[in-house]
Amino acid sequence: MLMQYAVATPLRADDMTITKSKLPITLLAGLSLVGGLAGCSATVAEDPAPPAPPVETEPDAGGDAGASGSYADGTYSAAGEYQAPSGTETVDVTVTLAAGVITEVTVVGESEDAQARGYQERFSSGIGAVVVSKGIDEIQVDKVGGSSLTGAGFNTAIEAIKAEAAS
Amino acid sequence: MRRSRLKLPADQRSHRLDFEAIGTHWQIDTVDPVEDALRAAIADRVERYDRTWSRFRSDSLVSRIGERAGRWILPDEAAELFELYRDLYLATDGAMSPLVGRSLDAIGYDREYSLRPSASPVAAPTWDEAVAWDGEALTTLRPVRLDIGAAGKGHLVDLVGAVLQDAGHSQFVIDASGDIRHWGADVLRVGLEDPRDVTRAIGIARVSDAAICSSATNRRQWAPGLHHVVDAMTGLPTSTIVATWAIAPTALAADGLATALFFADPARLSELFDFHWVRMNAAGRVEFSPDLDGELFT
Repeated sequence: MLMQYAVATPLRADDMTITKSKLPITLLAGLSLVGGLAGCSATVAEDPAPPAPPVETEPDAGGDAGASGSYADGTYSAAGEYQAPSGTETVDVTVTLAAGVITEVTVVGESEDAQARGYQERFSSGIGAVVVSKGIDEIQVDKVGGSSLTGAGFNTAIEAIKAEAAS
Repeated sequence: MRRSRLKLPADQRSHRLDFEAIGTHWQIDTVDPVEDALRAAIADRVERYDRTWSRFRSDSLVSRIGERAGRWILPDEAAELFELYRDLYLATDGAMSPLVGRSLDAIGYDREYSLRPSASPVAAPTWDEAVAWDGEALTTLRPVRLDIGAAGKGHLVDLVGAVLQDAGHSQFVIDASGDIRHWGADVLRVGLEDPRDVTRAIGIARVSDAAICSSATNRRQWAPGLHHVVDAMTGLPTSTIVATWAIAPTALAADGLATALFFADPARLSELFDFHWVRMNAAGRVEFSPDLDGELFT
């Protein structure tokens, strides 16, 4: 389990444009990609899903855990089940790799959780807007409000786990 | 540095103070220079807060409270903090709780930053079975791991702001990396960082003499689905919402509401609090309060 958690940590938000961190990272854990993910881009097209354990995928022949992260280009798919507070949930995940980086992630989850489904329905019923983001340099702002930058202790711990995962 | 981007007229808040506190970067922009005595007062205010509330310090009051049940006299600032927490605890049906410390420990967000989850998540105890707050003292019926991370940073922004006001400053901005409060009569334009790409923004909010706080699960994520926004009822990190912004009169309220927006229907929160909000779900859809002063890029 540690390995699966650990290999996900190269995902630094500064380097990535991942729409939906959880499942793409989960899948990355299954693929055992370590490092070299800077600049990759992934898009989640479908519904969110509750926390899921790492999804088993069909690894490329050369894909040892902790290796350099070179995988054959192509599309990898996996289905997974996991235990959510509301019961067993399923999720289908498809990842497309090109030149060693993930170019597309599709996650299809069918949440039976009434609360989660309620949120999803409300969002998809027209209340939620699709936004088109703009580069911060293109807009005139005094400040940027976003997630907290992480502290030194947290970052140091992440680096240590990455090093351990790669060894 | 991304957060050093300031486009203000040179004759306005031209003085800037940078420092690290409670694990993150702080920037204070003032019209008048910050004298050494005021800097020391700010540092002292931060240190006292940290020494009381930090879950990450073994010498903090919160760490001592975690060791045994008892009646704990807390600093004056505790009253507004617990009042807000109690309101949000009820409004989120217990999902947002100051008793979530052990849940965070269990998923690896612990004092040593082990970032290694234990075998199973740990739900927080319910408020009434664990603690009682009487306005000046916290009575704990068992050892409880308090974690005020959902509102503490905003709270400290307010407290540091009060220190500046006491020293005669009336126009300034405190930016504690995601928790921003503006004092003065002008308008601060705040870009809403896109959690999918932190070089981009999904919109702009205009804030004047108020605070805007945001919370997102993208940055402080150390493993699949593991981040610091945890549902106290289950001990599990949230997944439906990925980013929130709240605009409120104080940073304490805005910070707490930003977390509550992960768990509660905004309409329900709006019945209790006068605030504006934006939030994004995991599929990238955004909803926002109809009276938001700002724009979203649609």
